[in-house]
Amino acid sequence: MVQVPVQTIHRDPQLFYWILLPITLVMILTGVLRHYATVLMATAPKKLDQKTLREQRSLLHGINVRGNFHVLSKRSFNTRRDALTTEYESGAYLKDPERRGQAPPNPMTDPSSMDGMMGMMKNQMAMIVPNTLIMSWINAFFSGYVIMKLPFPLTIKFKSMLQAGVATKDMDPRWMSSISWYFLCIFGLQSVFNFLLGNDNAASQMAQQMGQMGPATGQMFGPGVDPDKQFVAEAENLAVIEHYSVLDSVEQRLLQGIKV
Amino acid sequence: MPTEKELQISPLVPDSILHNSRTLVNLQSLTASLFGVAAGILGLESYSGFLFYLAFSLLTTALFYFVRVAPASPFASSTPAQKTGLFDTSRYFHSPIAFWTGGLGNGLAGYILTWTLFYGLVRA
Repeated sequence: MVQVPVQTIHRDPQLFYWILLPITLVMILTGVLRHYATVLMATAPKKLDQKTLREQRSLLHGINVRGNFHVLSKRSFNTRRDALTTEYESGAYLKDPERRGQAPPNPMTDPSSMDGMMGMMKNQMAMIVPNTLIMSWINAFFSGYVIMKLPFPLTIKFKSMLQAGVATKDMDPRWMSSISWYFLCIFGLQSVFNFLLGNDNAASQMAQQMGQMGPATGQMFGPGVDPDKQFVAEAENLAVIEHYSVLDSVEQRLLQGIKV
Repeated sequence: MPTEKELQISPLVPDSILHNSRTLVNLQSLTASLFGVAAGILGLESYSGFLFYLAFSLLTTALFYFVRVAPASPFASSTPAQKTGLFDTSRYFHSPIAFWTGGLGNGLAGYILTWTLFYGLVRA
C-alpha cells in the first residue's frame, strides 16, 4: 500500500478573523438571544376556574395518596381510600358532572387547548427562523472557503456534508468548510451556554428537540383526555394497593442499629 | 441497589438528586471544553485525542467522587446497616453507571468543538 502524503493547504491567517470568529460569535449571541426571547415570550399559565382546579387537584390527591401510602397508618389510609374511591366513582369532583360519558371535545376546536399549541408554535419559530437566517447568511458570505482541518479522519461519505460548496474532488474529507464549522457550533456550544446562562437555558436547539420528544408532564390534564376515565382508573389503582407502613417492625430495625 | 422498601424507609429527594446530577453535568461539560483546548494545543490526532478525552473525563469523575462524594458517604461507618462500598454513589445519585459514564456523552460535542478549533489554530 502506498502511503498517501499528508495534504497541506496554505491558508490565509486572516480567514480566522473574518470567518471563524464571526461565525462563532454570531452563534453564541444567537443562543443568548434565543434564551432571552424564550424567557420573554413565555406566557404565564392561564388562571383556572375553581371547578377545573378542583378536578385536577383531587386527581393529584389520589395519585399522591397512592404514591405515599407507606407513610400512613393502616386506618388512615383505609379512610382516605374509601373516601376517594367513592367520590371518584360517583364523579363528585368532575368539572361538569352532567357531561359524564360523552366523548371529549375535539382538541383542535377547543379554544382552551389553543394556548398549548401557540406555545409550541412559538418555540418552533424561535428555532427555525434564526437557523434559516444564519445558514443562508453563511452560505451567502462564506461558501467556498476551506477554513479548518478536523483532528480526526473521516470517511469519504462526509465529504459532501463538510465540503459543501468546495468543488475539489481529491481533497481529504478532513478539511472542512465554513458551513461545517456552523454545524459543529450547533452541537458543541451547549457547554458554553451552560456556562453563560445557567443550566436550564433555552439557548440550544438540541435541548429543545429533546424536550419535544419526551412526554410532557402537562399532558395529564391536556385537552382530549376524559377526566372521568382518569378518575375511574385512579379509583381502581387505589383499590388494589396492598397497604403496609414503614413503621412496621421499626423496633427491630432500631435494636439492630444499637451496639452495646 | 436498594430495594423499594429501603428507599421508602430512607427516601431520596428527587429535587436534590436532580441538583446533584446537574452539578456533575455542569462540571463535565465545562471541563470537556477545556480538555478540548488542551488536546488541540498538544496537537493530538484521531485515536490519541479520543483516548485523551476518555482518560481525562474519567479522571474528572473520579476526582469528583473522591473529593465530593466519598468523604460524605458513610463507607467507613461503624453500623453495618449504613455501611456502603468504596465506589458506592447511591447516597447522592440514582445509578452508579450513570455517574461514572454519563460525562462521556455530555461533554463530547463540546470537546470536539474546542479540539477542532485549537487544533486548527495551532497546527493546521
